[in-house]
Amino acid sequence: MSRVRLPLPDPEKPPPGPFRPEFWRSPLRSPQLTAMLGLVLLIGLPAVALTGLLSNDAYQPGLGGNALGRDVHGPLDLYLFGWPSDPSWLYAFTQGAHVIIGLAVFPVVLTKLWSVIPRLFEWPPVRSPAHALERLSLALLVGSALFEFVTGILNIQYWYAFPFDFTQAHYYGAWVFIGALLAHIPLKLPTMRRSLALRKAVLDGAGPLASPAVDAHARPLTSPNPGPATLTRRGLLTAVGGASLILMLQGVGQSVGGPLRSLAFLLPRGRTRPGPLGFPVNKTWIGTGLQRGAVGAKWRLTVRAERTVVFTREQLLALPQHTYDLPIACVEGWSTTQSWTGVRVQDLAALAGASGRMMLTTTSLEQGTYGSATLGHEQVSDPETLLALRVNGLDLPLDHGYPARIISPAIPGVHCTKWVSEMQFQTVEA
Amino acid sequence: MSRLRARYGAGPAHLLVLIASFAIAGAAVVGWIQRPRDLEGVLIWFAAAVALHDFVLLPLYSLLDRITVARLPVRSAAYVRVPAIISGLLMLVLFPTILGFGAHREQAASGIAEHGYLLRWLLLTAALFLVSALAYALGPIRRSA
Repeated sequence: MSRVRLPLPDPEKPPPGPFRPEFWRSPLRSPQLTAMLGLVLLIGLPAVALTGLLSNDAYQPGLGGNALGRDVHGPLDLYLFGWPSDPSWLYAFTQGAHVIIGLAVFPVVLTKLWSVIPRLFEWPPVRSPAHALERLSLALLVGSALFEFVTGILNIQYWYAFPFDFTQAHYYGAWVFIGALLAHIPLKLPTMRRSLALRKAVLDGAGPLASPAVDAHARPLTSPNPGPATLTRRGLLTAVGGASLILMLQGVGQSVGGPLRSLAFLLPRGRTRPGPLGFPVNKTWIGTGLQRGAVGAKWRLTVRAERTVVFTREQLLALPQHTYDLPIACVEGWSTTQSWTGVRVQDLAALAGASGRMMLTTTSLEQGTYGSATLGHEQVSDPETLLALRVNGLDLPLDHGYPARIISPAIPGVHCTKWVSEMQFQTVEA
Repeated sequence: MSRLRARYGAGPAHLLVLIASFAIAGAAVVGWIQRPRDLEGVLIWFAAAVALHDFVLLPLYSLLDRITVARLPVRSAAYVRVPAIISGLLMLVLFPTILGFGAHREQAASGIAEHGYLLRWLLLTAALFLVSALAYALGPIRRSA
């Protein structure tokens, strides 16, 4: 078998422009800067990825129609455990953290990409099969990171500019990212540690940065032809850290709420309407397009289990009422805790003759994307899971689901069905 | 083993880690294919994200810096750059809200018609430059103290 020799690019003669190390002038680029940013991302990115996976679990995609048409039996559709109902702020916390850390980390991601951009133009472009595969993996890492941040950041701002289903694209995109990150970390950890150790050696006065050993390791991130130093590393970190901090506080404001809500003055969820019923709404009554008559005197709630029972709102109000402080926690990272009063879902199950481990599918008068949701047995058996009729001592307003809505601890807000018309209990095997 | 290293360019662990990584990415594509009409959009956005960042955004802000701030006196350039970077990053992340791209959906969801985001961003930008100007003015005093 004869070997075909392809004309290979001369490794010593890069074409002009960005392929030549002297093209890159910033004196700020160095393996040390990249390593410091890498260390921040080594903590931040897994935190965002993990809280994202937890959110997928919180949506309980294995139950009923919760997966919104996704086939959840593929290799990446991990559905590790039923989502707990205690503590009640669990989803508000994990999803708040997902958005807050994501917002804070994004400027660091962009800075890290800036710090390594000369590597995109390294010469020769491919040194070996190993190098080619590693570069392909980096393309997936950068592509998936940008894809995930962009879609997430657009989604929390209600600008659905993307021509695809967000949840599915963001979920599987996250797996591309996780896969690429799982390769990047072990492959680059030694480089990061070496760079940080060198930085420490330099700071300790053990030797100047320009020692030959350092130079060999630093190329091509350190410019051989640096421009004037017009910004110190501390200046750059102040700028990036400042942007991260402000973005983080935007997320904190909309997640913690209360007096801190106004911190989110550049996000859609930085304000509420006045009064005891002015807390944030995920979907307004007007937005549903429903007619007023649908929730008038003719409204009935149908509960199905062993038998079917139909209630009017007056009959529901005559049942034992319970009051709990529970959050609405949204996937966009905002949440609000209010005092809800209503009938325990457990009590309704008993009235319809259901017993044992059950899941519950609730159906709304509103037939939109989340017009129906299924709660797992963890939520159904929790005494704090209510069919709420009142909030903060007043009748539910139309925007919050009058005549009746579900409110349940620790689940995503969209699963707390509003304008409920039907509840179906089903036994699940232990 | 040494033959692999000579041919491939790295050790077996390197190869195994990357194969595992590509396998996960492949499984993700299987997930996306569930909605075939979505797949094209996803792949376009995926590639466009990299291309727009590496070949448009990054060269653009580098060029912008080179023809403006980098021409300032060395002593003052940092005091312009820091607030400009912060303000620019905030606009980059929050432009859908600041420029009102999601306003219609947002109002249907929240029932609140909120305006004035652009003014807030401008005020914040002004405040950042003001703080920076103060730091610049006070800098020599602090150094001489």
